[in-house]
Amino acid sequence: MMLLYIDWKKTVPRIVAAVPIILVALVPFYTTNMVTLSMFILSGIWAIAAMGFALILRTGQFSMGQAGFMAIGGYTSAILTVKLGWSFWIGFLAAGIVSGIVAFAVGAVVLRVGGAYFSIITLSLGEIVRIVAQQMEGLTNGARGLLPQAPNPIDLGFVEINFDASAVPYFYLMMLLVAVTAVVFGQIGRSRLGGTFYSLAANQILAEHQGIYLMKYRVMAFTVAGVFTGFAGAFYAHFMSVITPYMLGLAQSIQIMIMSIVGGVSSLVAGPIIGAVLLYDLGEYLSKLQVPGLQALVVGGAVVLVLVLLPKGTGLVDLWEKFWRKVYHEDEYYYDD
Amino acid sequence: MGFLALNNITKAFGKLDALSDVSLDVKEGEVLGIVGPNGSGKSTLINVLTGYYRPTKGSIHFRGKKVSGRRPDQIAAMGIARTFQSNVLFAGASVLESVMVASYLQYKTNSWQAFFETRAYKDEHETIVGRVLDLLKMLDLFNETFLPAEGLSHGYQRMLGIAIALAANPKVLLLDEPTTGMNHQEAMFVVENIKKISEQGVTVVLIEHNMKVLLNLATKVVVLNFGNKIAEGKPEEVMNQKDVIDAYLGTETI
Repeated sequence: MMLLYIDWKKTVPRIVAAVPIILVALVPFYTTNMVTLSMFILSGIWAIAAMGFALILRTGQFSMGQAGFMAIGGYTSAILTVKLGWSFWIGFLAAGIVSGIVAFAVGAVVLRVGGAYFSIITLSLGEIVRIVAQQMEGLTNGARGLLPQAPNPIDLGFVEINFDASAVPYFYLMMLLVAVTAVVFGQIGRSRLGGTFYSLAANQILAEHQGIYLMKYRVMAFTVAGVFTGFAGAFYAHFMSVITPYMLGLAQSIQIMIMSIVGGVSSLVAGPIIGAVLLYDLGEYLSKLQVPGLQALVVGGAVVLVLVLLPKGTGLVDLWEKFWRKVYHEDEYYYDD
Repeated sequence: MGFLALNNITKAFGKLDALSDVSLDVKEGEVLGIVGPNGSGKSTLINVLTGYYRPTKGSIHFRGKKVSGRRPDQIAAMGIARTFQSNVLFAGASVLESVMVASYLQYKTNSWQAFFETRAYKDEHETIVGRVLDLLKMLDLFNETFLPAEGLSHGYQRMLGIAIALAANPKVLLLDEPTTGMNHQEAMFVVENIKKISEQGVTVVLIEHNMKVLLNLATKVVVLNFGNKIAEGKPEEVMNQKDVIDAYLGTETI
């Protein structure tokens, strides 16, 4: 006799994760309104950047220049498509590669110091990218910026995917990109690499004495984050169909940090996505109310609330974890304080 | 060239020589005790051996290969593991997670294989989980497997420190005061385990103040005082030498 056994402990969190994903995937069937879809698309872009930040933070390093990598990706793709007339897809790939190479080269030098020095150097890296973009007029058009085009329509025979006609193709391309990033980062977090990254943050000296080469894994995390942040940047530039030096600066780097931390960096995927979606959409909603300063006030207040109520590197995603453990009556055998 | 040889090691902090001109030969399979009053350079010796400090002068060779000047992770990969004087743990990890992360050197598969979870990686992972559980059983940490390491009592944290060092599968194990803050019973449990580890062919270098532990374990003892090696030999003999007693208790000045 077969008994149908459902492991609720595992199944319910899966359903809780799957339902919003399916609902979001169905959004274009309810509405093809440009404004609604672009909210989702832009939250997805920030979510990828926030995941990158969380991955670097997993190794104990606090990067304050992630928007700089978005800018590198955005400009790479924009220059290749606008100046050289290459296709979007090649520009998009090149964006990730160039951003990854820059992350590797910078990381190999800068990650030797780590800690606060690393944060300050990445902060200046973001500024350097902005200034270079502003000054190299021949390549980047300076402050006027570049105007990258949408990808050419793809004819699949039965249906034509036209990026100019509506935001729906962008929407699904964004979902695909977020999904790929989430799968890669989730797999890193689950596998041995995640444990090794974590050990560097948890106790660098002990990790080194157990044979873990600090630089290798720090640079690895920084480079992987750089690649995906570069992809997000290229996507951003093409979707906005403009990239200027001021679009991706320090404010955006900080925004990425805040999204990641509010969502919760205990998870490499769910936390940053939740944080990015909530904070981006909250910010957009508040800016529509047209009350000066309200957006900064509310978002700042939300950050303070999360930091006060959920300390120790936990964010919104940990609330669910706590709730679910309570529901499932798993004994909490240990309280830290 | 010996098994593990320190040749004229000097480690200076500013004008203070924490170690001055210390030479030492560790033979394979022995349990070497290092004693000396506080500040005599015992921990510095271990820190120099594991690459935490670079020696100011002198060289260290392990099985004919130069150790001094390398990074801690390279030295660990050569088969030298250590414990720390204080309880050094991975923040926020459980006992099992700590020892699994510490087993890094036992993995021969590369990062790509780990990322894609290939057959080879999975098999290797399974073997290593088994080894880690055996290690936890041996060190009486099995009931604490899933508990957060930071919540353990001091004695268990000391044992976890040894488990973490052993997870690297070392040929030489450097123990920095493994029985500090333990009662007699716990200390004797540690002694039993160090004996077991030694019987498995691991060379042990042991810093210890507890004479009972030393006399029980050590096949050779080295005495340090103000960074100088003042005596070397069998534990019973060394402990009765006049300059050793002077170093610990001071000289008679009447």
